[in-house]
Amino acid sequence: MARITFDRSLYTPEAVEAAAAAYAEYADIALERSGDAVIAVIDAVTGGDRQTIENSFCNLALQETIVRMRRAPAPEDE
Amino acid sequence: MAPGEQDGPSEAPESRLGFSLGRDHVSFDVDETVYPLEAIYGGSYLFVDRCFVFLSRPSPRVVNVRLTSRGPAMPAELDALAGEFLNELLSQVTRLRLSQATARIREYYTAAALRAAASAPSVDDLLAELESEELGDDPLEIQVPWEEKSGEKGTEPK
Repeated sequence: MARITFDRSLYTPEAVEAAAAAYAEYADIALERSGDAVIAVIDAVTGGDRQTIENSFCNLALQETIVRMRRAPAPEDE
Repeated sequence: MAPGEQDGPSEAPESRLGFSLGRDHVSFDVDETVYPLEAIYGGSYLFVDRCFVFLSRPSPRVVNVRLTSRGPAMPAELDALAGEFLNELLSQVTRLRLSQATARIREYYTAAALRAAASAPSVDDLLAELESEELGDDPLEIQVPWEEKSGEKGTEPK
């Protein structure tokens, strides 16, 4: 079992959720929300190497975060 | 814990450039006061195809970037990967600063172009203007047939 901590200031919870949903076929991923982090608990892994699946899951969480950040409207200038 | 981290002692290869090297990964801290998060995201986005990227925050205003190779990698290759990432980071910061510095002038040009497009006459307006023009004067006698001008009918000009 692996626990991966995604800091909320770097990853949006929605992006981590989207990545977990995308990898549901390959791993049992449970998400725990704490104050400043989202923790992904990865249990059983199927259909691939555990390390690769964990790393790919993290990559997707980051990619989803970046895409969502870029879609969000830019803050107004003061 | 970051993905792929293992407990217990392990052989740590040395980085020629001072990065923290693991068996298949390299990590380093980035000061967010120098490299804004937007730039870190920009660099990361370009590297997710080449390697696995994981970000963590060891302390406020500091982001730890961890790049894991997709296959076996020598320390020199991991060093090169991290070096390329930092070069890209610098490029992203420059782009970001330029974009911020020229934001107003870009807004101005866009607004001016939209204003000009809005006030441009339509084809119907141009045709109406052409219709209303006075075409009575013909100082160069362009509308007068050649025969009338030369006074000879049926002969070709020489």
